[in-house]
Amino acid sequence: MRGAEEHSALDPPKDDSILLTARDVTVRFGSVIALNGFTADIPRGVIGLLGPNGAGKSTFIKASLGLIPRDGGTISVGGLDPQTQSLRIRDDIGYMPEHDCLIPNVSAVELVSYLGQISGMGKRDAMQRSHEVLDFVGIGEERYRLVKSYSTGMKQKAKIAQAIVHDPSLLFLDEPTSGMDPNGREEMLDLVRRIGATGKTIIVSSHILQEVERVCEHAIIISDGRLVRDGKMGALMAGEEGLFSITVRGDAKALELFVRALGEACEIVKKVDEGIKQIVLSARGCGNGKRIFALAMEHGVQVRSYTPDKMSLEDVFLQAFQGGGSDGH
Amino acid sequence: MGINPIEYRAWKGVRSAQKSRLYVIARSVFRHKIRSIGVIALLALGFLLLHAFQIIFTVIAPHESLDAQTMYDYMGTGGTFAIFAILLAAVVTSDLIADDRANSSFVLYFSRAIKVRDYLAGKTSAALLIMSLLCAIPPVMVAVASMVTQTGDDYAGSAEVLGRTMVAGALATVFFVPYGLMMSSLTKRKSYAAVGTFMSFFVMIIVAEIFAEFDPAWRIISPADSISFSLSWIFGVDMPPYVDGWALAGFMTAFITVPAAVVYLRIKKQVVGG
Repeated sequence: MRGAEEHSALDPPKDDSILLTARDVTVRFGSVIALNGFTADIPRGVIGLLGPNGAGKSTFIKASLGLIPRDGGTISVGGLDPQTQSLRIRDDIGYMPEHDCLIPNVSAVELVSYLGQISGMGKRDAMQRSHEVLDFVGIGEERYRLVKSYSTGMKQKAKIAQAIVHDPSLLFLDEPTSGMDPNGREEMLDLVRRIGATGKTIIVSSHILQEVERVCEHAIIISDGRLVRDGKMGALMAGEEGLFSITVRGDAKALELFVRALGEACEIVKKVDEGIKQIVLSARGCGNGKRIFALAMEHGVQVRSYTPDKMSLEDVFLQAFQGGGSDGH
Repeated sequence: MGINPIEYRAWKGVRSAQKSRLYVIARSVFRHKIRSIGVIALLALGFLLLHAFQIIFTVIAPHESLDAQTMYDYMGTGGTFAIFAILLAAVVTSDLIADDRANSSFVLYFSRAIKVRDYLAGKTSAALLIMSLLCAIPPVMVAVASMVTQTGDDYAGSAEVLGRTMVAGALATVFFVPYGLMMSSLTKRKSYAAVGTFMSFFVMIIVAEIFAEFDPAWRIISPADSISFSLSWIFGVDMPPYVDGWALAGFMTAFITVPAAVVYLRIKKQVVGG
């Protein structure tokens, strides 16, 4: 018996923020190499696992759960090897698979309670907890209906409910918004955010960059089974030092003169005409900005914004795939 | 969602031991099966045709003690007992693995702290429990009824036969389940598994009949005959002279262990080997 007062395998140690490490992990399915020397240190928090379809995201999750054997390398989850110590790890892991996997001929409350019991909860405890988590994910009276009658969105919610019923420390969510409508996606992302706020580590696998950008603190970009780039979201999306984004508005003629004058004062990297008498410039070497404001005043244009240049996750992703990967992949 | 959304709350309970979780699976499968119309119908019909008359006959017919030959005649001859056991095994085991394959729900089990052998043990225990309701418990009831109403004093002899009856019931309970599970693991459709189980037993019976024309020893490849021969050995009554005891033991062992191994390896391969 494992008492609740005992420390779980994945409880945070005081001096270590890394929960999961992978070193040169290789997984093959016949001639297909799903993970090809994948190496990463995954910290605690809400982590985005990004990559195109077939990149190896789901394979990495399954290898971390010990559901598939590795052909090489090591994985450590809270200091434990999922291949040889899977049972010790799995009580503290919740997994929401990408594909349809729910048992169709039972109600959600029966299913979640049943899986809670398999995770070691007592019968009464599991039933009470299943009602709690179904309330949390937003499945109301529908919980008494057979799962086979559920919409895709409700199935996704039931899948996340079964993943959290036993209160795991680490949660793997494989494409949690797959097949959901915009409202459903919002609700799912909100759930992820709220679970993450309780201090749990959540690894969200997705190929939808905007979702990861919104909920994750750290991102890992994977392609062809290898790490392409990783880091804290802020650091990944930070632009080049000294590069600023400037939005100016004014008459076409004034804007043209302003851009010409600015080009003489500093280096313009990018210019986007937004077509409403407004242009967005990326420029470097403009100093502290006083010169820009002076030029704007001189040419009669209005500076709408002046901020350090920041990339979107999409830019990071595209840049990573254009040869900027941390391992040169 | 209301103004104050329901927040995530931690669970503060105590987990059960990992090894005991197979009982959760067994209990769930048993509850599901015992409510199934097909299982209820087969159990009721089987009890009526195989056991009810035997219990009544045993109670009203005067007898000195519980007799091994009587118990063998009741359980091991005629083939009706075996046919009902085959039918029940086909119905009970058909969906146990096929449905999980069809729903891809293995991952829900094996992402938790449970091993393939625990999963299989849970499913098998439930199937065995249902099978015992037809194959083991009623014969024991018949034996107990006979002992209670016996006119003689040889209770030790009767108790021995009761023990043999328990062993015979256990064998009849176990014999068909691994094969049914194997068929269930080979397909995603429970109907294919059920029909496949029943038909493959039938094919074995027919093949045994054909080859028995040349050599009666071939009868051991018929599941109905092989279980009948085994019961004759358990009850200590005369086995037909053409039956080789070692060949029978080999067939019975293989019939139980090979399908069990196939099921285990298939699930292990699908779940762990991707």
